[in-house]
Amino acid sequence: MKKMQTDRNYEGIWIFGDYRNYFQNRVTLQLISKGKELAQALKTEVTVLVLGNRIHQYAMEYVAHGADVVMVVDHPRLKDYHVETYTLLVAKMVESFRPEIFLAGATAFGREFFPRLAKRLRTGLSADCVSLEIDSESGLLVQTTPAFGGDLLAEIVTPDHRPQMATVHPGVFEERVHDPLAVGRIVYPELEIEADERVQLMRTRPEQVRKVNLEDAPVVFAGGRGLGSMERFQVLFDLAELLGGEVGATRPAILSGWVEDTRLLGQTGKSVKPRLLVTAGTSGALQYTSGIQGAEAIVAINRDPHAPIFKIADLGLVGDAHAILGLLLEKLRKRL
Amino acid sequence: MHLELSMKQAVIRRTVRKFAEERLSPAAGEMDATARFPLEIAGEMADLHYFGLEIPAEYGGAGLDTVSYAVVIEEISRASGAMGLCVCVHNSVSAYPIYEFGNEDQRRGFLVPMAKGQKIGTFCLTEPNAGSDASALETIATRDGDGYVLNGNKIFVTNGAVSGTNLIFALTNPAPERREFTVFIVESDRDGLEKGPIEDLMGMRGNPVCPIMLSDCRVPEKNRLGGEGEGMKIALSTLNGGRIGIASQALGIAQASLDVSIKYARERRQFGQSLSDFDAVKGVLADMATKIDAARLLIYRASYLRAKGLDHGKESATAKLYAAGVGVEVSRAGLQMHGGYGYTKAYPIERYYRDAKVCEIYEGTSEVQRIVIARHLTKK
Amino acid sequence: MNIAVCIKQVPDIPTIRMDRERMTVIREGVESVINPLDGVALEAALGLRDTWGGNVTVLSMGPPQSEEALREALARGADQAVLLTSPAFAGADTLSTSHVLATAIARLNPCPDLVLCGRQTIDSDTGHVGPQIAEELDFPQVCGVHEIHVETDALVVKQVSDGFLNTLRVSMPALLTVSQGLSVPRHIPLGDLERAFSDRKVIRWGLEDLGLQAEEVGLMGSATRVWRLYTPPPRRRGEILSGPPHRLVEHLITMLEAMGILDEEDANG
Repeated sequence: MKKMQTDRNYEGIWIFGDYRNYFQNRVTLQLISKGKELAQALKTEVTVLVLGNRIHQYAMEYVAHGADVVMVVDHPRLKDYHVETYTLLVAKMVESFRPEIFLAGATAFGREFFPRLAKRLRTGLSADCVSLEIDSESGLLVQTTPAFGGDLLAEIVTPDHRPQMATVHPGVFEERVHDPLAVGRIVYPELEIEADERVQLMRTRPEQVRKVNLEDAPVVFAGGRGLGSMERFQVLFDLAELLGGEVGATRPAILSGWVEDTRLLGQTGKSVKPRLLVTAGTSGALQYTSGIQGAEAIVAINRDPHAPIFKIADLGLVGDAHAILGLLLEKLRKRL
Repeated sequence: MHLELSMKQAVIRRTVRKFAEERLSPAAGEMDATARFPLEIAGEMADLHYFGLEIPAEYGGAGLDTVSYAVVIEEISRASGAMGLCVCVHNSVSAYPIYEFGNEDQRRGFLVPMAKGQKIGTFCLTEPNAGSDASALETIATRDGDGYVLNGNKIFVTNGAVSGTNLIFALTNPAPERREFTVFIVESDRDGLEKGPIEDLMGMRGNPVCPIMLSDCRVPEKNRLGGEGEGMKIALSTLNGGRIGIASQALGIAQASLDVSIKYARERRQFGQSLSDFDAVKGVLADMATKIDAARLLIYRASYLRAKGLDHGKESATAKLYAAGVGVEVSRAGLQMHGGYGYTKAYPIERYYRDAKVCEIYEGTSEVQRIVIARHLTKK
Repeated sequence: MNIAVCIKQVPDIPTIRMDRERMTVIREGVESVINPLDGVALEAALGLRDTWGGNVTVLSMGPPQSEEALREALARGADQAVLLTSPAFAGADTLSTSHVLATAIARLNPCPDLVLCGRQTIDSDTGHVGPQIAEELDFPQVCGVHEIHVETDALVVKQVSDGFLNTLRVSMPALLTVSQGLSVPRHIPLGDLERAFSDRKVIRWGLEDLGLQAEEVGLMGSATRVWRLYTPPPRRRGEILSGPPHRLVEHLITMLEAMGILDEEDANG
């Protein structure tokens, strides 16, 4: 495989260790797994970079999930995530160690921090990728991102700048199983810790008392504007409860005030990959379908047989959602 | 020749449509059912300059050009015919004549509050015995000292029940060989002006149309708009511009009818397919769209001429004649397409059908428009 | 407090349709609008100015048609509007775009104390431009802000980030990107729109006005390249059924049974 002139100085696959919400937020582990694949193609290693305070256990976890190297910067002043301070420190490390590829999960923090870092390093960054591959001819990292709400895909490369950076959509890749016997090096590079005082975290607390867990639900019932009213969303909640699932909604339904905005599915909301997703009264607008395409099976219900939603459904039912779902609920209640 | 809306006009359309969809559309059905004029929404619209559309900023208006004005009326009417009627009549035949024919005191005293929406205006010409034959009107204004005393009955006054400022057309010289009319600005709270009950109409329900009765209503000379005897001239000039507004109302209603018909045709299935898959239905939709296109271009042309200060009597009559017809035809075709459902109040199409009809009647019936056009064709 | 707001004119995404044969976006009949979150940023800026005094300048990098968005911003109440336009700016990625915007902001007189942007755009949706402008201007940044309070010398802001509700103190000058909850754009009075087009000026700056070279901007100044745009092959398209509800529901239940979804529930009682 041909390597470019500029690549001679840059080598390795780095991953930013986003360890906050460790048990729900698996994206770093998913990236380690994908990173290993990319590393194999490029004959190099996967390094995870973690900054924080008392974070050694995360380093161990990352090794167990496949990291070849974990670089740890552990200091009390790094106790909380901080964009400017992290940019300062990580940029220095990148300049010293010159990784060829640097990935981060497209968490809220990742999407705040990585662009600033990419700008400091004067390199290219793609956002929220759904696919990463090494092009066999050029050796470039081909980064695929959704455009115009997700129905169009763009393949992006960073030909002349290094590192090639990307944030990756959580849930796209599969993490490797935890292996307590995995071997990896944990290193503590020497670094002067300068904190940027211009932004200070005054208070932090978890967001919602009641958590809507769409991402883990095995069955999702989703509703849109076509349902017609808040009352008609109730049948979705009843069905979800019956089958141990969760309820999602499109932006128009949320803007109409029918359900809370933590249930938003789609590009600016959550992406879900349940076993079954039933979507009712949704026309199939691009920025919605990108959030549900990962489902194993999609059942769509809509009065309009030409609605675009039917193009991505395994089973399409043309009719009145209210009548169909009501009848479904009745029959399932009798059975279960 | 430039057939597209300018950047400004396109932004205006978008802005009004957004307001209409958010605030008017949800209220339109209830307005029609209860025949109640929504004062709260009118208040919001006043703050957004909907009651001073063509009036210059120095008098509290928005200072829009005629094409922009037509676009605004179309978009309001698309959401609510009754509100479109209110805004159109207030602007083009009540406020505008005061701007065009009033003196500075009248502009300051009457026009400014109207442009700001503090007072809603009416145009009172029609009487029990004077419809198309406006010159048969009988309301009389007798000189009395330095003022006039008005006596008479005006009917079908659009915006009547909520108006603050009324333009009253009256005879100042009843002698048969010299019948002369004059316009008076009469405040609703003036002694001797009374309003009757709101009319129970087929459509445009929610617009508070009512009769206005004058008995020994004394108005000072400073309330006279223009000179004595100038009433007919003012009426004709005013109605010229008013036609563009009515045409735009009809266009808005037609567009709304087309929009819901397309949606229905896609959703409704019979004989194993969507209505929109049938050639016959495709033909109907195509005809609806073509008529709407033609009406829109006629309206823009008349507006353009008016904006340039050019003669537009024939063109505005053409626009009103054609667009009013389109409003009726397209809403009827839409209702037919909706079948039984279209006949129920669950769908808005029957309201569009009821609202559209009056556009062929008021501010000069379609028959009158034909005469106007023919006169232009046959004059020497 | 002088505030700079960056806005972008974008296609009205909900009305967009794809031409699946030619793999392009159908642009006819698609309206261009101010990116919704930029509209929220502008509304917040106007609110801050109305309370604390100062100046709101709106900037946009785009083709000449973006003037429409800037005039709308003037109609909403912005004091000044600047259009950054040049053929050289075309094809820019966020690195290059942020360079042009940051250069322009640095040239504003007086220099802004605060830069506001929408968190992301509905078309490209990267969310990069705000942080990259902040980096170039060396301003501290907070993204996704839904509340802003002004104190002497600093702002106290709230953001929701990865499930955490954070309250942060930011010294000025600073850059904030805003999320939906910050403010609701008001309706625009028609007279203000009219005046925005007839009376107001939109300042235009090109390459020379900004003192930039062609290599720094547009495609040439970009680090990323789009190799290919494509629609993925239709993921799936199963049966589409119509008929009386009970038939449809029967069919659906058969499918659920086949998937084993109902078995688990039977077992759980």
